[in-house]
Amino acid sequence: MTAIDFDPSAIDFTQLVQPHRVHRRLYTDPQIFGLEMTRVFAASWCYVGHESEIPEPGDYRTTTLGLRPVLMTRGRDGAVNVLLNRCAHRGTVVVGEAGGCAKRFVCPYHGWTYSPDGRLVAIPFPGDHPVEDYSTLSLGRLEAASYRGFVFATLNADPEPLECWLGEAREAFDTIIDRHPGGEIAVMGSPQLLEFAGNWKLSWDNAADGLHATFAHHSYNTLGEMVDTETVLARDPGSTPMVSMALRNGHMVVDQRPGIPQGPWATMRDVPFREPLESRLADAGAGELLDLATGSMLNLSLFPNLIFVGNQLLVVEPVAVDRTRLQLWLTSAPGAPPEIDLLRLRVDEDFVNFGTPDDLDMFERVQRGLSIPEMEWIDMSRGLPDDAGDGDAGTEATISGPITSEAPQRRYLAHYAEMMTNPAATRAR
Amino acid sequence: MTVAAAIPPEGPGPEASSDQAAVLARYDDLAGLLAGVDDRPRSDPDLSAAATPALMHEARLLDAGRFEDWLCGWTDDAVLWVPLSATAHPGTDQSLLLDDRRRLAERVEWRRDPAAWGQQPPSRTTRIVGGVEAWPAPGGGLITRSSLLVDEHRHGRHQQLAGYQIHELVGDDLRRRTKILVVAALGTGVRNPSFLL
Repeated sequence: MTAIDFDPSAIDFTQLVQPHRVHRRLYTDPQIFGLEMTRVFAASWCYVGHESEIPEPGDYRTTTLGLRPVLMTRGRDGAVNVLLNRCAHRGTVVVGEAGGCAKRFVCPYHGWTYSPDGRLVAIPFPGDHPVEDYSTLSLGRLEAASYRGFVFATLNADPEPLECWLGEAREAFDTIIDRHPGGEIAVMGSPQLLEFAGNWKLSWDNAADGLHATFAHHSYNTLGEMVDTETVLARDPGSTPMVSMALRNGHMVVDQRPGIPQGPWATMRDVPFREPLESRLADAGAGELLDLATGSMLNLSLFPNLIFVGNQLLVVEPVAVDRTRLQLWLTSAPGAPPEIDLLRLRVDEDFVNFGTPDDLDMFERVQRGLSIPEMEWIDMSRGLPDDAGDGDAGTEATISGPITSEAPQRRYLAHYAEMMTNPAATRAR
Repeated sequence: MTVAAAIPPEGPGPEASSDQAAVLARYDDLAGLLAGVDDRPRSDPDLSAAATPALMHEARLLDAGRFEDWLCGWTDDAVLWVPLSATAHPGTDQSLLLDDRRRLAERVEWRRDPAAWGQQPPSRTTRIVGGVEAWPAPGGGLITRSSLLVDEHRHGRHQQLAGYQIHELVGDDLRRRTKILVVAALGTGVRNPSFLL
C-alpha cells in the first residue's frame, strides 16, 4: 500500500485499541503515525513552552508540534503568540535558531518580513505584488493559552477551553507549582535532548507505569542500597500506598508522596557537591526547603506531550513512527535560596544518567519486539476491571488505583482511539 | 555573571562557607576553562607531546572497558563535566553530567551492574583522539585540548559522536583533575549517551 491509495477510514481504531489489549500497529505503522500528527497533536492542546523563556518583547523560541515547525514569541504588546514557522510566500521555515530576541523575522529566502506577532509587515519590491491586504499573508497562528505560565497551543478548529481540557489535572498541576516560594517557577534554557528508536507512545506507556521501576530501574535502586538510601523507586510496588490516577483526556498522575513519609530529599543519594550547599541551608534554618531540590514526587502527564517528572518537564516530541526525541527541560525556583537551583542541577543529572538510559533501552527493545508480525497484541489488562470501567471510561472523571494498575495506560489509549476515530477539524488561524 | 556573584551576601543565612565558596569557584573555573579555550595561543609542541600519551591511555582504557583502572587516573578533587553547549556554566545550565570523584565511582559500579540495562550489553567503542594541544596550567600541570571521535556499536546499531575534550592534568603522572567533554550532538539529540565518559 502506498500513501496515495491509503484510506484512513479503513483503520478501525476500536479494533486496534481494546479494553485489555492494543495492537502493535499503533507503534509500527507509518500511516497511523501520519494520522496521529494531525488527529492527536494538531487537534489537542499541546505544551509549547514556558512564559519565563520569553520574558521580553521580541523573545522567541522554536519547537515542533506534531512535526510542524512552530514559533513561540512575545509580541510588542507583551502577549504570547504561537505561530507556524512557515513563510506565507514559498513555505520556507523563517526562523532557524532555537531561540533569541528579534524585532522582526525576515525570511532568508526572499525577504518577507514579519512582526513578532506574525503579521506580514514588509515584502521587497511591493509594487510587483498584487496583494494589497498584507493581513491575508500572516504567519499561520495557533490558538494559544497559558496556565500557570505554561503555554499550550492547538490547531483544533473548535477547541474546548484550556482549563476545561486540563480538568481534574489542574489539582496536581497547582500542587507542583505551588510548592515553590511565591508559586513561581522558571524554565532554564538548553534542554537535554535524548532520542530513542521507538514510537512516541512508548514514553507515554512508561510515564504512569509504577511497576517497571522495580525491574527496569533495578540498577538505580542498587546504587541507593550501596549507600543505605532507599530511592523513591525502590518501594515494593505491590504494597506501597502510592497511587496512580487516570484522568479525563488521557492525563495521568502518579502520586508517590504517600509512599515516602520521610519526604523527597531523604530518597536522594549524595549528588556531587551536595554537602556544602545542603549544610548552608540547614545552618540558615531553611533545611525544610531541601525537598524543593528534588521533585514533588507527584508525576503529572498531560496527554499528548508534557510529563512533569522530578523537577523536569519532559516534552515528548515525535520524529517518525520509530523515532522519538525527548526534551528534558529543568525548572528552577526563583523564589528559593540559590542553593536550591544549584542542587537541582546535580539532582537532575542523577536519574538522567542512572535511570533514563534504562528506559531508553526498554523503549528500543519494545520497538524491536513489536516488529514481529506474528505477535500482534500488547497486554494492558493489569488492574481490570477499572472502577469506572464500563466501556465508557472516557467520560468518567478519575480512576484511582495502586501504581501497578495499567488503568492510566488504558485510559489514555481509549482517549487516543476516540481522537483517531472521530477526528476534530484543524486549521491555522 | 558568575554564580558566586549571583548569590546575594545576605542570602538565606550566614556567609557562604568556605566549602561552598570552593564549589562556586570550581564551577566558575570550569566555565572559564571552557569559554576561554578558543582564545589560547598556539601550543608548545613539547608540552603537547608530553600530554598525548596520557590522553591516548585514557581513551584506550575506556575502549577496553577498564573502568576501574580509568577511575584510578583521577585526583580526589576530580570533576568530569559534559555540558550541553560550549557556552554553558555548570551552575546555571543543565549538563548531561557533572561528576565528582564520588559519582565517578558510582558510574563505574553502574557499568558493572548486570541489570544496568542502558549499558547491558555494553557499548563497544572506538575513540580517536587527535589534534592534541597543551599549555601550562596556572597551578602546575597541563591544560590540553584535543579532538575526539567516538564510534559506538550496541544492539546492532551504530552511532558516531564527535567533539573535543579539555583536560587539566596534574602531578608527575598527569592525573586527571578536570575533564570537559563537548559533543555537538548533545545540542540536537543523541541516542542513549551513557557510553560517554
